[in-house]
Amino acid sequence: MSRFYYYLILVNMVANIIACVPAILLHYHKEGTVTSMLLAVILGTALVTIFTRFFNTFPERTLPELLQKTTTKWFYLPFVFFLAVMWFIAGLITMVTFTFLLNRFLSPEMPIIQISLMIILSAIFGCLMKTDRVLYTIEIILLITFPLILFIFYKAYSSNNLEWDYVKEAVLYVNQLPNLHSFSACFFLFLGAANLLIFNRFFAKKQTFGWKQVILIAVISISTLFTSYFIPIGFNGFENIDELVYPWISTSDSLRMEFFIIERVLYMFLLFYLGIAFLSILIHWHVSFEFLKFVFNLDEIKFKGKAIGKFIPIPFFIIISLFFVYQLNEYELFRYTSYFYNSLIIIFPMMTMLLFFIKRRMKYIEQTNQK
Amino acid sequence: MSKQIKNNLSVVLLLLTFILLTGCEFKDIDKDVFVAMIAVDKSDEAGKSYKITLKLYEPTSSFKQMPEPTYSYITESGETISEAVRLLESYSDKKLEFGHSKLIVIGEDLIKEDKSKEILDFFLRRPDIQMISWMAVGRPSAEEIIRLVPQGETAAYPELFNYFDDNGTESQYIITTYLFDFRRNMKSAGVDPILPIIEINHEESHFEINKSIVFRDKKEPYELNSLDTSLFNILSNSTDNADFYIKEDEHYLIVKIDSVKAKKKVQVQNNSNLKLDIEINLSGYIAESKKQLVNKQLPYYNKLFKKEAEKQFNDFFSKMIKGGYDPLGLELDYKSQTFHNRQMSNEEWEEALENAQINIIINPGLKSTGVIQ
Repeated sequence: MSRFYYYLILVNMVANIIACVPAILLHYHKEGTVTSMLLAVILGTALVTIFTRFFNTFPERTLPELLQKTTTKWFYLPFVFFLAVMWFIAGLITMVTFTFLLNRFLSPEMPIIQISLMIILSAIFGCLMKTDRVLYTIEIILLITFPLILFIFYKAYSSNNLEWDYVKEAVLYVNQLPNLHSFSACFFLFLGAANLLIFNRFFAKKQTFGWKQVILIAVISISTLFTSYFIPIGFNGFENIDELVYPWISTSDSLRMEFFIIERVLYMFLLFYLGIAFLSILIHWHVSFEFLKFVFNLDEIKFKGKAIGKFIPIPFFIIISLFFVYQLNEYELFRYTSYFYNSLIIIFPMMTMLLFFIKRRMKYIEQTNQK
Repeated sequence: MSKQIKNNLSVVLLLLTFILLTGCEFKDIDKDVFVAMIAVDKSDEAGKSYKITLKLYEPTSSFKQMPEPTYSYITESGETISEAVRLLESYSDKKLEFGHSKLIVIGEDLIKEDKSKEILDFFLRRPDIQMISWMAVGRPSAEEIIRLVPQGETAAYPELFNYFDDNGTESQYIITTYLFDFRRNMKSAGVDPILPIIEINHEESHFEINKSIVFRDKKEPYELNSLDTSLFNILSNSTDNADFYIKEDEHYLIVKIDSVKAKKKVQVQNNSNLKLDIEINLSGYIAESKKQLVNKQLPYYNKLFKKEAEKQFNDFFSKMIKGGYDPLGLELDYKSQTFHNRQMSNEEWEEALENAQINIIINPGLKSTGVIQ
């Protein structure tokens, strides 16, 4: 696969360490999180494989285009609009969580609306770019921030203060049945591949997706899940771990770098994650924008001969985001996020069925064309 | 519109945006005063529980102007820590900035009252207090500890920090406990948290940090003397230095250890019988002797050393187990190898630990008699 494909997967996985995923996992630390994680790795990798294989057979085609060819209008227009809303919410969750974090830890004196507006505007500016430009942006930002984030993880793993006995204690809760909420939170990590719905436009060449790639994705996901769940336990203990609101913030604050840029790792961690969170919002909202463009045919809307259509969703994005930043409190954010993740584990398996349907129809269309 | 005009217009627009760059929303640094240490004591006033003292860095314009360290102190009592801090904020003309405070000292009187969880809550809940601040117990009171500026202290970096940050002294008697570490062991069963005790030598005006104190739920805190503190440090692999005194058969040797490796293992037999396997590798050389030594006899000295070390560690373990304290995390070790639904209850565990069979193996590694024989 092209390296850009892995960026999509990687950003979605790594960005969730800062979002609600670890908090949800740790909340159910005594109710089957470990088995949920194992189950999610198996089912998630399967889902990634199905999505990627499907889009590999149709290079340069996006889902809306395929739907247009194979299904009727009354089905695909509402469906694509629904997808646009889903992707918007996914970006919104990252945005609201990160706004709260910045407000709490980095600049408590700044009004929360101003912080969120800063993120929203820069993300929207990115969303308006062409799909290939978005991927190039992702590459540049990842190249800058990701090695440093890996370095912080390395510091965490090599720290003397990481108590492996707590980790072992947590692992021993493996003899429990999986838990729905933990499972859906883990499952969300794998949905980076679903961005292919739009980003497949970029992948023109025929790609291979064999066992090697599947194993690579499984390995990346296992190490991400392991890091995001067990490292906070190693630093903060097993009992009462669920009282931490931002487990990874507390964990990065427990790290000490005596001889590097600054001693308190928390600020470096927040700063680098600002980059990753921005990418996550950018990807989700770009997909959402493209869906909206398709549904409302925004490219056709012209004012005095200039295409202004693509700017129409911007005020809606800004107003809805600001509304939620203003309205939600931390508890509601976590609860609604959990509901959102739960809904995804119903929607995405159903979408794989839709993909099979499209594939058969396409085959049929091709056959009739050949005749 | 021609391209030229368009370009010019965009330059003008760009220049206009500079108006927005008027500076940062942050408070200027000279409007902040940085807290160096926080002391929490028991209050003498009726109806108030805590007395908070803050050590503040006094800003100086240059090091040459003020080579001596200068600090200011503010104190206030309150029913909760926040109440006191809120009043303290009105005593200073600048904003109190807690983000750079690196040490939290708790008074000895307060320790006896079993209020650690209440105190911890304040420090954990505030986002600006570092989780990597050190924690310590102050004797006779926390306030006296942070008010002391010892001889020879340099400006800008309080001497007290050097004791803990593994950069200055590396004494085996000093225990380093971070705030997150203390919270972790406090809130989860398995390890009893331990804090160093800071004392003051008034005549010479310097600190003495060589004792420590172990906390356990629903029990009086237990104080470890200097020897036990160093043994604890060896057992938890947090030091590489140690000294042992050997007094046997007209020999009086002092052994200097420079490499320590300790392994501990809890084994469960027949569901309730515990066996503790402790293996400690100690290697080093002989630092001092009252008699002339012979190189050839190193195996003999090793034997003496082994005997002495075994005795000391046995004493340490029997003291800990008899008292029911577990700073080494034996219970956690047990929990990390037993499924949660098959673990014994707390009472069963305490009883099992009391009857545990302790097996200490010392691997002595005296390699030299020093520079002379």
